[in-house]
Amino acid sequence: MSVRAMPIATHLIEVRLRPEFADAEGAAALALLLAQSQPSLRDARVSRVYRINGPITANQVQQVAKDLLCDPVTQEHRVVAPTSPPLNGMNFWRVEVWLKPSVTDPVGETVRDAIADMGLPRPDSVRCALVYRLSGRANKASLEKAVARTLANPLIHDAVVSEAHP
Amino acid sequence: MTAPAAAGALNVLAKSPKELRALGDARHLSLNDAEWAAIQTHFKSIKREPSLAEIETIAQTWSEHCKHKTFTSPIRLTEGKKTRTIKNLFEETIVAATAAVKKPWCLSVFEDNAGIVAFGKKWALAFKAETHNHPSALEPYGGAETGVGGVIRDVLGCGLGAKPVLNTDVFCFGTPGYAGALPEGAHHPSRTLRGVVAGVRDYGNRMGIPTAAGGIWFDDDYRLNPLVFVGTVGLIPQSAVKKEVKPGDLIVAVGGRTGRDGLHGATFSSANLGADAPSSAVQIGHAINEKRVLDALLRARDKGLYRSVTDCGAGGFSSAVGELGAKCGADVRLEAAPLKVSDLTGWEIWLSESQERMVLAVPPKNLKALEAVFSAEGCETAVIGEFTNTGRLVVTHKGESVVDLDMKFLHKGLPRVEREATWSAPATSKASGGVEKKAPLVLREMIAHLNVCSREWVIRQYDHEVQGGTVIKPLQGVRHDGPGDACVIWPHAATGDMTDFTGFSVAHGLNPDYGRLDPYYMALACVDEALRNLTCVGADPSRAALLDNFCWASPADPRQLGALVRAAEGCRDAGKGYSAPFISGKDSLYNQSKDEKGKELPIPGTLLISAIAPVPDARKSITMDFKGPGNPLYVIGRTNDELGGSLYHRILGRVGGEVPKANPACAIEGFKSLHAAILKGLVLSAHDLSEGGLAVCAAEMGFSGEFGARLDLDELARDPRIYSNETLLFSESPSRILVEVKPESESAFLRHFGKGAKAAAVRRVGQTTANPILKVVGLDGATVLEEPLRELKEAWQRTLPAVLK
Repeated sequence: MSVRAMPIATHLIEVRLRPEFADAEGAAALALLLAQSQPSLRDARVSRVYRINGPITANQVQQVAKDLLCDPVTQEHRVVAPTSPPLNGMNFWRVEVWLKPSVTDPVGETVRDAIADMGLPRPDSVRCALVYRLSGRANKASLEKAVARTLANPLIHDAVVSEAHP
Repeated sequence: MTAPAAAGALNVLAKSPKELRALGDARHLSLNDAEWAAIQTHFKSIKREPSLAEIETIAQTWSEHCKHKTFTSPIRLTEGKKTRTIKNLFEETIVAATAAVKKPWCLSVFEDNAGIVAFGKKWALAFKAETHNHPSALEPYGGAETGVGGVIRDVLGCGLGAKPVLNTDVFCFGTPGYAGALPEGAHHPSRTLRGVVAGVRDYGNRMGIPTAAGGIWFDDDYRLNPLVFVGTVGLIPQSAVKKEVKPGDLIVAVGGRTGRDGLHGATFSSANLGADAPSSAVQIGHAINEKRVLDALLRARDKGLYRSVTDCGAGGFSSAVGELGAKCGADVRLEAAPLKVSDLTGWEIWLSESQERMVLAVPPKNLKALEAVFSAEGCETAVIGEFTNTGRLVVTHKGESVVDLDMKFLHKGLPRVEREATWSAPATSKASGGVEKKAPLVLREMIAHLNVCSREWVIRQYDHEVQGGTVIKPLQGVRHDGPGDACVIWPHAATGDMTDFTGFSVAHGLNPDYGRLDPYYMALACVDEALRNLTCVGADPSRAALLDNFCWASPADPRQLGALVRAAEGCRDAGKGYSAPFISGKDSLYNQSKDEKGKELPIPGTLLISAIAPVPDARKSITMDFKGPGNPLYVIGRTNDELGGSLYHRILGRVGGEVPKANPACAIEGFKSLHAAILKGLVLSAHDLSEGGLAVCAAEMGFSGEFGARLDLDELARDPRIYSNETLLFSESPSRILVEVKPESESAFLRHFGKGAKAAAVRRVGQTTANPILKVVGLDGATVLEEPLRELKEAWQRTLPAVLK
């Protein structure tokens, strides 16, 4: 039996709008951040990340990403490694907004049921995050503050701000 | 079986009031000294300590949210030198008004989750509005969403279940441009507004219910305590209004699973909002789950599979089962409830306020059929116990007793504490301060004012067309962007009857600025505004039913409570005067918080009146925009020097003055006559005069229809002591409506007012013109105003998008 067939516990799928499409959600987020004294930000694009926990293989994850979560006409998807990507430290930011584990995630629940409806093993849990990919200069601490005032509510969200690839 | 105390006993009997208060604070129980004493006495008499779950159940059941203890407790009111005692404010005002007007078409008032009025011979309308203020202050999106979800479930859980056909939303926020400081943890008003609107939008749109009626009021005193009123109208067959639980019926939980989320929402509403608010009081709604419950429930209702239903709101299972079983008794086994996480303790399952759950009373023989209906919608059901005839509430978890309480003590044991209230009328009614401004300048400022400007930014986010019955839409006029008075819904999709054109309309009245001067006249003005809005679109004002929603600061302050009494008495007199019964309502108290300097910031006492009335023929309903040039314009109602609390005073920076005083007897005659004229098709458009008075009303009608108007102030029916053009233009005297009449129907129109024409003060004040300019001639014959309507419209539309860009 091959070692590669062993299911890993956590999978992350990122789905985003293809770059050729205007991102209205991103534009709205950018406007909110600009109003929070982040004048050097130039662009924001929004994607969604689904974290799937459960006995599901890498191939099945690909199938979920392609057939269930992604609209191939306007969107593209990738399976993300659970470890953080290497940073280049150059004016690109990634803001992940997750609902806290104690808060019900209706999107995640629906995706979990939909995966089972595809005939695949039902995951133990699925959580969904909004990810804002920002370009422009910013200071991490002040960006975190701006995010807490606009894109995330610290009462129910965990927001992770990190420097990232474009 | 062991006594409940064995499963987590609380040593309560020996504790001093101070220790009990500390215990209550630590667990967010919001019980006062007298309530603790009543609990001690009760448990001493049965010779045991209460369990934690029992204390929690009592705290939930006795909370402001569930028992409305301020409204039902005795109050000693001091007015100047006089003192009188009110035994039960709710019974003596709201209920008394409904009893006095004796309307046979009221099918269920105050007892169920929503009020129910007849709608034709076969159907009935269920209407409920409530607030979700504290959760929306903490998490605007989730708070508003779960508020909408909750009120939809109220309508689903009234009678044997009504089908939601309309959602309403009224908000009070701080100004979105607020530039001052805010305390730690408070959201900026613009964020609150965005989040709340998005929450109402997402829940309503996803459930396929049109959101088509509402309003927004901006005032910086709401910056820490925003108000979010959400309402739902449902359609129910008259045969499904009655419900009754029988001993032996199974207690069936349906819908969402139970989790740790939402513990302590109900007791939270009895406490002031502070930085240490429990985060679990906030949840995210799951509209799709609720839609499944809705579809399955209505199918099961039509098959007659259950005998009673209620929603799990504040207090979760404890209040739902407690309510249904109040007259008989209930045995509950909590381990049977489906859970989100497996490590919940008994009291957590019992009290969790997880969303999208309902409880049914099901005769055992119907259980299989019921399960089949719900599982077809992918909706979970679980039998968690049965109703008994023991008069006791007995709850167990995995064989251990959790709660064993006497229903009588639980529902009737709340000690009635007399409260102190004071009311003193404003010392002087003379207006003072402020700077005079020219009328054209005032009109421009008014039309762009936050409380007048276009709400299109909000309204366009809502699906107000779904179900296909929105005959009169929230935005009206040739370009579909004028401010309508009310919506008209023709619920053919729910009744399935395409030949009956009866519709219904819903409208609101709210003006806290009047309440700052006198809450009594605020209540009259709110009822008047709601009814005249209904009349303007073609609804029958003599068939209107009302909901009252009070939002107030802490009633522990005698002056706040005095103002609340005054407002409730205004409601009583308005209900009687307009012959309009109250059918349901809600109150939200303790809306005050510490501001950035640590000073208490109370909200202005706020009353929302929501009115619903049938529209006898939806095809005859009308909009507010001018329909053509050369049509005569009439004002119904008399203009008095009533600028107290007006927008005019706000813009001038003036305080005091006469608060607008409605005269219900005259007003309702005018409304009824206008209604008859509208039904005959004699009226082209009608719009109510509210904030900004005649000037704003005429401008709105003009720019929505793209026709002008020429008005002569000397023609207005008015108090002869008025010599000021500004007073006539901007006074906010209630009960007034500006009406555009077909030229050939003038005499027929006037005939409708008959002998009442004098009392209703109907006067021709001018006519519409082809050129879109609002021209007003003053008392001296000189032109007071000559404003191009296009510019006014641009200013009216610019405000909200500019502050929310």
